[in-house]
Amino acid sequence: MIAQALLRSTILATSLTVVTATMALAQTPAANNLASRVTTVTDDMLKNPPDGDWLQWRRTYDGWGYSPLDQINKSNVKNLKLVWSWGMTPGGTTQETPLVHDGVMYIQNSTHLIQAINAATGQLLWQYQHRLPEGVLPNGVRNKAIYGDNLYVATRDAHILAINAKTGKLVWDQQVADVKKGWGYTSGPLVANGVLIQGMTNCSNAQPGGCFFSGHDTKTGKELWRVNTIARGDTPEGNSWNGVPVEARYGASAWIAGSYDVEQNLFFAGVGQPYPWPAVLNGLLPKNADAKYTNNALYTDSTLAIDPTSGKLKWYHQYLQNDTLDLDYVYERLILDLPVNGQTRKTVVTTGKLGIIEAIDRTNGEWLWHKETVPQNVVQSIDPKTGAKTINPAVIPQIGQTTFNCPADPGGRAWQATSYSPKTRMLYMPTVEFCSNTVLNPLDPGQVYTGGGLATYNRVPVPNSDGKIGQVRAVKLDDRTDAWMYRQYAPVTTSTLPTGGGLVFVGTLDRKLLAFDDTTGQLLWTSPTFPNSIESFPISYMADGKQYIAVVTNWSSGLGRLKLITPDIALPAHNPHEVYVFAVE
Amino acid sequence: MSVFRVVLRAAGLCLASLLAVAGPREAHAQLEPEFYNDQPYAYGEWTMGRRVDDSQFRYCVDPRDPGFEQDGDVAEAIARALLLQPQRYVIPNTFEVEDLTRLYSILLQQCDVVMGFKLIPGGYPPWVGLTRAYTQVSYLFVTAKPDLRSLGDLPPGRPIAATGGTSAHVRLASYNLSLAPAKRWPIFPYGTDQMALEGLASGAADVALVWDPSFRALQKTNAAVASFRVIAPDPLPPTTLGVGGLMLRQNTFLRNAIDQAIAALTSDGSLAAIAAKFAAQAGGKPR
Repeated sequence: MIAQALLRSTILATSLTVVTATMALAQTPAANNLASRVTTVTDDMLKNPPDGDWLQWRRTYDGWGYSPLDQINKSNVKNLKLVWSWGMTPGGTTQETPLVHDGVMYIQNSTHLIQAINAATGQLLWQYQHRLPEGVLPNGVRNKAIYGDNLYVATRDAHILAINAKTGKLVWDQQVADVKKGWGYTSGPLVANGVLIQGMTNCSNAQPGGCFFSGHDTKTGKELWRVNTIARGDTPEGNSWNGVPVEARYGASAWIAGSYDVEQNLFFAGVGQPYPWPAVLNGLLPKNADAKYTNNALYTDSTLAIDPTSGKLKWYHQYLQNDTLDLDYVYERLILDLPVNGQTRKTVVTTGKLGIIEAIDRTNGEWLWHKETVPQNVVQSIDPKTGAKTINPAVIPQIGQTTFNCPADPGGRAWQATSYSPKTRMLYMPTVEFCSNTVLNPLDPGQVYTGGGLATYNRVPVPNSDGKIGQVRAVKLDDRTDAWMYRQYAPVTTSTLPTGGGLVFVGTLDRKLLAFDDTTGQLLWTSPTFPNSIESFPISYMADGKQYIAVVTNWSSGLGRLKLITPDIALPAHNPHEVYVFAVE
Repeated sequence: MSVFRVVLRAAGLCLASLLAVAGPREAHAQLEPEFYNDQPYAYGEWTMGRRVDDSQFRYCVDPRDPGFEQDGDVAEAIARALLLQPQRYVIPNTFEVEDLTRLYSILLQQCDVVMGFKLIPGGYPPWVGLTRAYTQVSYLFVTAKPDLRSLGDLPPGRPIAATGGTSAHVRLASYNLSLAPAKRWPIFPYGTDQMALEGLASGAADVALVWDPSFRALQKTNAAVASFRVIAPDPLPPTTLGVGGLMLRQNTFLRNAIDQAIAALTSDGSLAAIAAKFAAQAGGKPR
């Protein structure tokens, strides 16, 4: 009886709490006013964002991922303290990039619960729930966009949503492709010259012909154009698939958002590898005897330069032909003017999983230079004029053999973005060092249920490794020399965040956020231990006159997939996701 | 009643009581999933309780698998052999292709075994356990070319449409690579059996390599496929795989019981009778 009474009172109390919480959310005019006061994001704001805002994935169109804020600096970073946190839906992945505009933070939970939060206090302002269909696992999407009065969100079921940034009300919902055929988004859009540009992913077994970029009207969501990431037609590009018909070509996923060159009105983005990975099984090997065909597999592992207004593909540059090891050249594109052979060249700089930094001329795609970073045995040599790579034949996976390749499939660098500081003119790259014993395996366990890319990568340390798997590397891009490198056992699992305060922030698999001196690489601050690993894109912003550092914790595979070589780094079973925000008190 | 039935009934009763003991340990294991790649993700996993009725044989079938009716009959036979109440769950998903990890959530919530999985050594992640095979199924080379009697009759340079990544495709690709370049065939990897057969129908290929049940099912609904005929795999040997049930790895007691039931049902001809029934319906060889 006593137990029942206690239970009853608990239920009552819980019910009251829920009601109170709901009412509190509805009755916080000051808080809601904050969201309603956010200003309209214009083209000019995206071109020159306020220092205190983080308006798009890498903050600026040039993809630098740099915050000019300097309240938190080398002298006071030691006083950095947690000021608020917010629990997100646990489970799945998020790899989240929060956006901040006029003191409001926007986040996307793995369940596709979109939330606006007071960026100074952590108070919830509004939320919008996009319902994922049965069969789509809740997982996050790496980035969002904000433009006009709308927040733009891509979804795992291949929709693009426009949500009013002030109220959280849905403005439009555009389904771009059929999730039942496998389509879906893992990264979000970028708005360039008033056009929303979105890359499609999950173009595998059920969906031949590859992925695509699409351009959309920001007011309605209507699709304006589409650029296929697998070349077609009777052209040198279309004939680069070894004679395999378009209906049997797979992959070329557009799974990372791009950058935008305002001056040229050109959108730059990367494309992933062919599917399945092994060339002996995807039709690209053995080489077709007909000279009409090549087996380069365009536009995989390339930079595409697309006019956002017309959707016309202006040029492309392919970094890796016939990729047979899952070595995406899909990541961020940094727009930089750099000295090359005594001249200032307009470049796009990117780095694939091989960890080879490469620059091309962003006006025409001409290859300019490269710099190697992590240990790798895939590329034997690089043509100094064209950038064409000679591949080590011993690493090409073969049926019935085990091959050894470095890096392993998550890459010497993965989706965690590199960044650039205009203060130091350095590139900051999170890397890991590991290799793989690679074997091919069939993927036909059920007629419907498949999985994997026909290869298993058993990850092992680099031979003669010092045991320090994770690194942060700083490279002077003016002369491509190493500035500094920080090495530790635990893999580095976030993007780097350089700031105007002379700091570089980065998170790790063993649940720490670190701050380095951007010039020397000296470790200046280590956070308390978080509840989970940090696998996301840290940002910095200003709210109510104060600078903050924000990062989202969650375990999200990528560089974290290292159980075989870091078995002692334990993480909680339910994979908690949280936003953590720090400031100097 | 045969001795076999008596033994199975005793085993079934024993199973029912032992499941009650085994259950909490399984639930405990679910609370401590290994992290990294070994354990897939099921949203809300921490809210999923353990099974409450240990007298049931909970099995799943998937109508997207052309062999699912036969799989269901086998599961019903296994349930009868174990003296358990069959509890059938028809997976309602309509996605064309799904990742194997989707089954993790289904196995936590809906059933103990999902029928219809090929027994491929090294082809499954560590969280998966498989029963022994209850039937054998082949891949088929099919064609519309009247002059082809076997794969070996296909002239070099003529394309083959293979459902990509299957064991048969891997075997074919391996053999093809062993040939001199001038003797090879182009092999085009399609995403599904239907796509491979459409490639054959469109003239993109002269031969298709597909899963027998898919071919038989599509012959009933697609006139072009109905006109295709099976040719011998020579000079390759036939690619035939055992088909069994997929379970959570830790569910070892039930898996052993199912294996014993399959062995008994094989011995007394029950499984052969089920296979013959469906083969007659499909117009092909028994699975």
